[in-house]
Amino acid sequence: MLQNERSLEMTKQKHQTEYVVRCLFERVGDASFVGHLDLMHTFDRAIRRAEMPILYSQGYNPRPMMVFALPLGVGIDTLGDYVDVSLAHVVDAQEFMDKVNPNLPKGVRLYGGINIDEPKNSLMSVVSVAMYRFEAPGIKAPLMHLFERDTIEVQKKSKGKIVTTDIRPLLLSGAQNPSASEDVVEIYCCAGSSKNLRPDVLMNALCVHEGYDEDLAANASVTRLMLYGGEYPRLIDIKELL
Amino acid sequence: MNQVKVSRKDLMSVESPGRYVGGEYGSVIKEDVLKQLEQTGTCKEVRAAFCFPDVYEIGMSNLAMQILYKCLNDMEDCWCERVFSPWVDMDAVMRKSGIELYSMETKSPLRDFDVVAFTLGYEMCYTNVLQMLDLGKIPFRTKDRKDDDPIVMCGGPCAYNIEPMADFFDIALMGEGEELIVEVTELIKKYKDGGKKDRKALLLEISKLEGAYVPSLYEPIYKDGRYQGLNKLSSEAPDTIRKRIIKDLDNVPYPTKPVIPNIRIIHDRAYLEIFRGCIRGCRFCQAGFIYRPVREKSPETLCRQGIEIEHNTGYDELGILSLSSSDYTGLKDLTDGLLDAFEGRHTSLSLPSLRIDNFALDLMEKVSQTRKSGLTFAPEAGTQRLRDVINKGICEEDIMKSLKLAFAGGWSTVKLYFMLGLPTETMEDVKGIADLAYKIEKLYFDVCREQGIKARKPEITVSTSMYIPKPFTPFQWEKQNTKEEFLEKQAYLRSLIKSRNIKYIWHDVETSLWESVLARGDRRLCDVIEAGYKKGCFYDAWDDHFKYETWMETLAEHGLTWEEFAKGFDVDDEHLPWEHIDVGVNMSFFKKEREKAYREEITPPCRTKCSGCGAQCFKVGECYAAK
Ligand code: SF4
Ligand code: SF4
Repeated sequence: MLQNERSLEMTKQKHQTEYVVRCLFERVGDASFVGHLDLMHTFDRAIRRAEMPILYSQGYNPRPMMVFALPLGVGIDTLGDYVDVSLAHVVDAQEFMDKVNPNLPKGVRLYGGINIDEPKNSLMSVVSVAMYRFEAPGIKAPLMHLFERDTIEVQKKSKGKIVTTDIRPLLLSGAQNPSASEDVVEIYCCAGSSKNLRPDVLMNALCVHEGYDEDLAANASVTRLMLYGGEYPRLIDIKELL
Repeated sequence: MNQVKVSRKDLMSVESPGRYVGGEYGSVIKEDVLKQLEQTGTCKEVRAAFCFPDVYEIGMSNLAMQILYKCLNDMEDCWCERVFSPWVDMDAVMRKSGIELYSMETKSPLRDFDVVAFTLGYEMCYTNVLQMLDLGKIPFRTKDRKDDDPIVMCGGPCAYNIEPMADFFDIALMGEGEELIVEVTELIKKYKDGGKKDRKALLLEISKLEGAYVPSLYEPIYKDGRYQGLNKLSSEAPDTIRKRIIKDLDNVPYPTKPVIPNIRIIHDRAYLEIFRGCIRGCRFCQAGFIYRPVREKSPETLCRQGIEIEHNTGYDELGILSLSSSDYTGLKDLTDGLLDAFEGRHTSLSLPSLRIDNFALDLMEKVSQTRKSGLTFAPEAGTQRLRDVINKGICEEDIMKSLKLAFAGGWSTVKLYFMLGLPTETMEDVKGIADLAYKIEKLYFDVCREQGIKARKPEITVSTSMYIPKPFTPFQWEKQNTKEEFLEKQAYLRSLIKSRNIKYIWHDVETSLWESVLARGDRRLCDVIEAGYKKGCFYDAWDDHFKYETWMETLAEHGLTWEEFAKGFDVDDEHLPWEHIDVGVNMSFFKKEREKAYREEITPPCRTKCSGCGAQCFKVGECYAAK
């Protein structure tokens, strides 16, 4: 039998039950310059090295069954992203993380994992809000000033044409600033597959509308602090959205 | 300790910033050395920078780099890091922002290392060596380097004729590097212990190691513009430098825990090298001669290492690596063993360079993830006459027999590789390429009819590259085809291939023309290469960046012509720029092979009959297997 047919068989057999481990993960420092697709490969290999019984999709080209909550742009740190990994049999979430973590490259780490049954809603569909932190000289005031605007128009290229969109509705609110520093600001904004604000788009708007320095913006450190479900301001922990 | 900082803005401004950040799983951090460096800025261990003169994705796919990285890091007295050539966008950013070239592991500037070692896999990477030295602020020329500067060395297939780059390297290592690089590093360690005094004495000492060539101990002699051999500048320097080989491949370190890149690379898979050398001796093929004699690893070792690698890397593909996999005597045991071990693990094997027969087809069914991928043949020449000239032991009947099996088994995609410009080639031979493709097309429909298979549109691809005479082959003296000859042959073949089932792919002629100069060049090219680099030539291996006009113009500025290098050498009374290097195979053997080529006589493979090429001097491998 062909190998892919063989694995297909195996996948089918195992697929009757599926056990999911949902983990938070962080990706910080140099690892943030690895793109989203590459990060998925990195996770796949780490899980294989850890000998965890990850399931593969059916079909011609079996793929490891992993779902990420929200793709993460290159150059952005995260402290609170989620991944669902489907396994062929139950592995305690703690054990899963203990085995996989030493196999991940520098700067990438799983934490806060839970075991769940096959989730009814896909991880991607439950994400609605993200919290970001921006750090750059004097960034707080101009960024908070954006919230006072009625509209924030940005231009982006779409199919060769330049279209103008208003990102103001995507901005939710400023968050309690942990430090009194003028160089740090934390905000909530829309995130997910339907309404999503990309941090680089926001940085761009900051330069265009508030005259913030482009070099400073380009060098700003951006961290996704956490992803949430629910409707702002009633946020729900994604671990509870199964 | 100095560390190079690259701003987020700079990283975000280049394509694929993941190339420049390191932090990969499996990269070696020697904590104790790092601590010393952080506290005192220096360390007692030798710091080696293994440099790959091409972009990260290619360098990380290179097995030699992973092997030597391991060998050096297995040494207690050495810490080896990796450095790659920044792509053109990053190169520009680094120059603009004043960023020095740095290592992946600790972001140390290149000039802080004790040794800077390049692997040279292809001639077209030469300018990237200069780019890396330039960005690393290391003097280009060995004569300009001070006691404190890094020792700059190289190895790999191009080291066998390093003359065009001789002025830039302190040392060139000949042959397989696993042992030699360790011996050289030990001497450098002593040099470092002694406070780095008298670099010249160190290089002279290194030159006494078998396989280590120190170009600065010799100077070339020219008479009337023709090369007359090297003159020794020190009586202690050896007359000839013999390449090194590993005698026992079962017991040589092998990277079963390689560095795993964080970004996708050219060949994103683990590698298992099954043997070195090739029993065939095709007369155009440098690899077939420089890696002699054939030495195999045992299937037991390989199975063990294959399983280990698959486990350690998490790769879902294991590439079986050799010059000609079908010639490995334990292939069945090995593939059975590995397929068994990978059962249900979603890991596939890839086996390039398989000779197509029943066993191979069966194996391909078993190993391939995507069913019925293409079949590959390399007849290299279109007629039997020319195949005899080049000693390509493959005849039309073999190809047809294999294809008949394959077509009956449902395959319909065939790739055929040929070379244009082989010695003695005529237009009749070029036409032979098209004829063969047509015969294969016809065979496909015949087999489908006979077997009652519903015929699809077969995909037959004919690909031609330009033949470049290489050192250490029977054709090392030959004349290279001119641009016009190549273009004429390509055009002729294009005019012959009319079927929509046959696709013809040809390559850029100009790249090959320059490559041929570098391949058989001598030390006069050092100035040319440096001048070309200074005019902006680098990444020559990439068609988009290769500047043919600039190179030809630079040659002319140095009073040289393309013809001078392309016309080859007189077999009987001309010196070859690489004649002081001894690869084991004798010059007299090459001459005999050349004569046989002109008589259209073939030479049997090593396993059928030893032809006494000279490689028996290593006293191992195939030459001794039967005796
Ligand atoms: S089979 Fe011929 S072309 Fe292939 S590696 Fe061996 S000698 Fe070279
Ligand atoms: S000495 Fe004989 S067996 Fe050994 S490599 Fe040469 S031809 Fe082959």
